Amino acid sequence: MNLNEVLDSLHVSEQSGHVISTEEGIILHNSLLILQNENHFRKIFFWGRICGTDNDYYVVYGYRSDALHDRIFYYSTNCLNWGLLPKPKDYALKLTPLCTARFQGDPALVLDVLLEKDEISFGDPLPEPQVKKLKEEDRLSATVHLINQEVAVVPRGALYKRTDGVIVENRAFEGLTPLEARELKSFLHFRQPTRKWNTNLLTRDDYNYAIDFLDPLDVDIPEGCWLQNFTAGEEMVVLKSLYWPGMVFFHEIKTPKYGFVYFGTGIKCLDVPFFLNGLYPVYEDFFQGK
Amino acid sequence: MINDVNNLGSIIEINAEERDLRLVGLPNEENEFVYAKTFLQKSSTDTGANLYDHLSEVLNKILSERPENVVDFFEEYSRKIKEKRFKPLTDHLEDIYVEPGRYRQANRLMPLLKPLPPEEPSTLDPEDLERADMTKNNMLDLLSYFELAGLGLPRTEMFCLTMSMRQLIRVEPIAKIRFWGKIFGMNKNYIIVETELKDEEYSKRNENYNPLPDSKIEDIVGDQLETITKAQLAGEGEPPKLWEVLPPLPQIQYEEPPEPPSEPSGVGANKNVYYVCSEIGEPWVQLPDVTPKQIRVARQIYKTFTGDLDQPIVSYPFFPGSERNLLRAQIARISAGTHISPLGFYTFGGEGMGEGGEADEEEEEGNKGEIKENPKYDPVPIKDLTDRSMMFWVHHNHHILNQGRTTWWNPNPLPETGLDEELGEEEEEAKPVVMGPEPETGPPLLTPCSEDVTLDAIPAWSVRSSSGVAEEFAVAIVRSNFWPGAYSFATQGKMFHNVYFGSGLKTMVPNFSPMPLPPVEQDYPMGPEIMEIVDPTGAEEEAWRIAHLPKEKPPKLVGEEEMPEEEEEEEDEDEDEDE
Repeated sequence: MNLNEVLDSLHVSEQSGHVISTEEGIILHNSLLILQNENHFRKIFFWGRICGTDNDYYVVYGYRSDALHDRIFYYSTNCLNWGLLPKPKDYALKLTPLCTARFQGDPALVLDVLLEKDEISFGDPLPEPQVKKLKEEDRLSATVHLINQEVAVVPRGALYKRTDGVIVENRAFEGLTPLEARELKSFLHFRQPTRKWNTNLLTRDDYNYAIDFLDPLDVDIPEGCWLQNFTAGEEMVVLKSLYWPGMVFFHEIKTPKYGFVYFGTGIKCLDVPFFLNGLYPVYEDFFQGK
Repeated sequence: MINDVNNLGSIIEINAEERDLRLVGLPNEENEFVYAKTFLQKSSTDTGANLYDHLSEVLNKILSERPENVVDFFEEYSRKIKEKRFKPLTDHLEDIYVEPGRYRQANRLMPLLKPLPPEEPSTLDPEDLERADMTKNNMLDLLSYFELAGLGLPRTEMFCLTMSMRQLIRVEPIAKIRFWGKIFGMNKNYIIVETELKDEEYSKRNENYNPLPDSKIEDIVGDQLETITKAQLAGEGEPPKLWEVLPPLPQIQYEEPPEPPSEPSGVGANKNVYYVCSEIGEPWVQLPDVTPKQIRVARQIYKTFTGDLDQPIVSYPFFPGSERNLLRAQIARISAGTHISPLGFYTFGGEGMGEGGEADEEEEEGNKGEIKENPKYDPVPIKDLTDRSMMFWVHHNHHILNQGRTTWWNPNPLPETGLDEELGEEEEEAKPVVMGPEPETGPPLLTPCSEDVTLDAIPAWSVRSSSGVAEEFAVAIVRSNFWPGAYSFATQGKMFHNVYFGSGLKTMVPNFSPMPLPPVEQDYPMGPEIMEIVDPTGAEEEAWRIAHLPKEKPPKLVGEEEMPEEEEEEEDEDEDEDE
């Protein structure tokens, strides 16, 4: 979420119920301006809030030149003192999905993560259950990384790849049209593309080298894991992922305003298959006696 | 046609060159400019556009917008202009002035924004006309507190919600109304208000109250199974030859335990009546009362809401009802679990009540835990409210037992039924019945939240002060960790509110796992016919055959010898089929 929208987040909150309170907003706004100046960021964004049982983590990021690859993350528990979020460590990336406890709000806390027998995250299946240590700060950085990888979204055309390979925000972006906003492939994953460049390019008829360099959302499985809603007046399109409840992407149709924000517990929801009512027609026939 | 244009262009060029050569002979600034301009103005053979007009349009746009670093996006600008050129601007059958979505919304909201019509004089008792108190329901006031808690809906929505609630209390017999929260569905969301109906309305509903649960759905399944069995029997035609008499059809041994009756309207889990709508301006829909079975099944399944109240719930165990029943069951569970108030706000109101004929009933209930607002409530200081131990917050809703009711129901039949049931139970408590199961008990009303259980090291509540800077105006905010999205706040004055903004799902640790299927039932009682025995091996069969060979008889013709063997084989087959 852009810094300027932090102060006026009510309109975004409709779909998640969460807002940034006025006090929080004012503190964030000012402390982020200082942070931006200290770090020579061209732009600074509010990423979201991860709720802990004792304290909440506020996460922000900024970039200097490249909007995708140069992102630097900061976190804080009080919106005042910002600490650099370390790069996600390998062991933390493997342990984080196995950790079911809530965030507590103390970055120095060391958690015990129980690895069950035959766990294969670390290569060979474990012969017996094992307990590993995980520092909460590392867990935070791994969680933020995973969320960015899986559910951070930009509308198509909002980012522009310059001829020198640097990715910048497209100043000519005027927003998606109402028709485009109804298609999931008009939204792209805000991450280093995982598919080959020409695959992403050729899945569209109206491809554009400078714009279609990211993975579109419609490749995600299962179908239906993205909820695409429109606000009451169809002025804004909202995307939510079932995997990370709390992640909200919004885009005001026909305006260059867009952004995403995360308000949640930082735990991935693995129960998605139970949500989707795929078997419904069979049951209906049964009960109607067909 | 295209060729003509081309030719024309080249003719002009040739003519110009010839003229220049003839008349001037030397390069001239003005002429060079004219040449260049004519070249740029040459129309494209495919589209008919020309570069001169295009460039001037692009430059015009850039100069009027004056974006930064425009050179990096020059292609984009150029493309946008081209796109615009080929889009028909007036190509609609009917002209569109406002986008359809916005127009629909405006039409929906307009009736709410008109002042309410003056009331017609009525012959009814003025007390009957009394309406619910809306003074506590100014959603804009509440919004300012919600915002402090980090919650909220758009300001317009909150305002229209107030208007919509005001209309609701005019048409429905509501005694108390309160904003309950919002549940987010996959396609649509539910905005929910909690109401208490007037006493007459409750008694009117309970006239038809049938304590026995509705067994309609089970009947449907049973009927289906029966028709299927019949069809199978009919389809088989003549019975297999080997059977002379068919074995009897297997009987279902499993007996469903008696279903506890649902609580009457206005009591326990059905104390409140809920109205929902998907978008403000749509009509409010009343949710049906909840049954204990619905609550029990809702605890075992994990389904998000779709936003359609009639969506069937496909689940195991079978959920009796559609999404509206599931929604009602989840609301009951959330309310029971997360509605908390500051210590002392409510008290047990046993003696102070004396309101005519109803006093008796109320007193009896009062002994058990009817609570009322404490008029002498002294606000708890914020320091205590934000204490991590949660000592100063109490539950003011009944705990729902495992049975799915707030009061325990004895499965053994009691002489009293219907409305006297509550009374009957009290008598039972007074002189405990020896036989029968142990009654379930939950924590009594107004139990401090500090006594709540923790779920796998997750504490039940997280509590905050809304502000670290302005302590004078701070409110205490409590967040439920079991029901993500359930919040309570209490101001330093005499105000508190419980609200829910979430997906309607409880936290599962570590994850949801569906209930396993029950063990397979026996079709027939155990006996030699259905015992499983090991097939004899080839060697054993051979030994058996040799042992049973007719020995004494002298050898006869070959054809006769084979006869007994055939019989044996038949017997073998029979045995196989028995198994």
